Amino acid sequence: MSIQNLNTFDPFADAIKGADDDVQDGLVHIRIQQRNGRKTLTTVQGLSSEYDLKKIVRACKKEFACNGTVIEHPEYGEVLQLQGDQRENICQWLTKSGLAKPDQLKVHGF
Amino acid sequence: MAENDDSVFDPSLLKKKKKKKTTFDVDAAMAEGSPTEAGDNTDKENTEPASYADNVDLDMDDLESFGKKKKKKKKPFNLEELDSALPSDTTVVEPSEPAQEDAVEDSFDYDMDFSKTKKKKKKKKDIDDLVAEDEKEKAEEKENENENQTWGGSDRDYTYDELLKRVFEIMHDKNPEMAAGKKQKFVMRPPQVVRIGTKKTSFANFTEICKTLHRQPKHLLDFLLAELGTSGSVDGNSQLIIKGRFQQKQIENVLRRYIKEYVTCHTCRSPDTILQKDTRLFFLQCETCGSRCSVASIKSGFQAVTGKRAAIRAKTT
Repeated sequence: MSIQNLNTFDPFADAIKGADDDVQDGLVHIRIQQRNGRKTLTTVQGLSSEYDLKKIVRACKKEFACNGTVIEHPEYGEVLQLQGDQRENICQWLTKSGLAKPDQLKVHGF
Repeated sequence: MAENDDSVFDPSLLKKKKKKKTTFDVDAAMAEGSPTEAGDNTDKENTEPASYADNVDLDMDDLESFGKKKKKKKKPFNLEELDSALPSDTTVVEPSEPAQEDAVEDSFDYDMDFSKTKKKKKKKKDIDDLVAEDEKEKAEEKENENENQTWGGSDRDYTYDELLKRVFEIMHDKNPEMAAGKKQKFVMRPPQVVRIGTKKTSFANFTEICKTLHRQPKHLLDFLLAELGTSGSVDGNSQLIIKGRFQQKQIENVLRRYIKEYVTCHTCRSPDTILQKDTRLFFLQCETCGSRCSVASIKSGFQAVTGKRAAIRAKTT
């Protein structure tokens, strides 16, 4: 039996482990905004900048049959913006494609 | 046209139909919002005995002696009951049972192998197992009433499940009014949401709800506006005017989320809490259990441009 206090502890073990994990860290905020009439916009904020957001938006547009764009924001980085209420779709798609874990997704709005 | 699209605007209609509720309680919100939360004591309480029984069945190898004991113990007091419950099964099985019972008892945990190797016996064996399981469950219930220490007689180690069960029961005995037993419902009035014109929504009993939640109206206002991604203000009649079209259940959803995050204690789920600001962070102090934890700050995050760009440009310049 070893004494626990004398074990060496590598403080960077987590950091090293996190690097090769291909799921990003941090929350992904999915929001909805009302536009005029019954139109809405869905924004996805917080996707890791290591991902090619242009490619993601291209795939999303095709998958959800909606238009979308990537917006550069000085504070929040690149933000996906999709037309319509795509909150359910984007949640499923992000988890299915393995870009984010379900508990990282934070859905806002009503 | 305007009337028409007023009435149809509701993205959440696409989602699952929520049953209409007139009273709006936090417990429902909790259950909805956090099914995995460890604090869900009542559920655990309900499912626990069942899973316990399952575990006993599954962990045959290390609980073999235990199971055997059960069978023996059960025999005296449970047989009549069993006979009445399973008349056909028992009549078929009974003749072969004594021999098998002995075999099981002698050959420790080989009864699994038995059924595999001896094809002929298999059918009977299955029935046997079922009966045995029934017996076991019944016996377990009985025993739990008597005492928890099922490991008392034997010199085997107690299992985690048993200890868990025991601690829950002790907790129940010691303080029966605890949340584990019956949860006190936190019922509040539903929000009154009326639309004003075509583009604005009024939240009539906003201040009243703030009072029942014991929160600053400003805090709840910030949260609502950030979540809904709109703007709004409290007018002279102390009602909240929000820009955009919202229905009562949509507001209810947001309120539920607010209550879950900023009103109920994260540890004991009691709504008796105080929200205080301390060095730029909000802390939730529970009056019931005394726990204190920080809560997330309200951030509206990225807001897309939804208005007319020309108008925005005109405003800024």
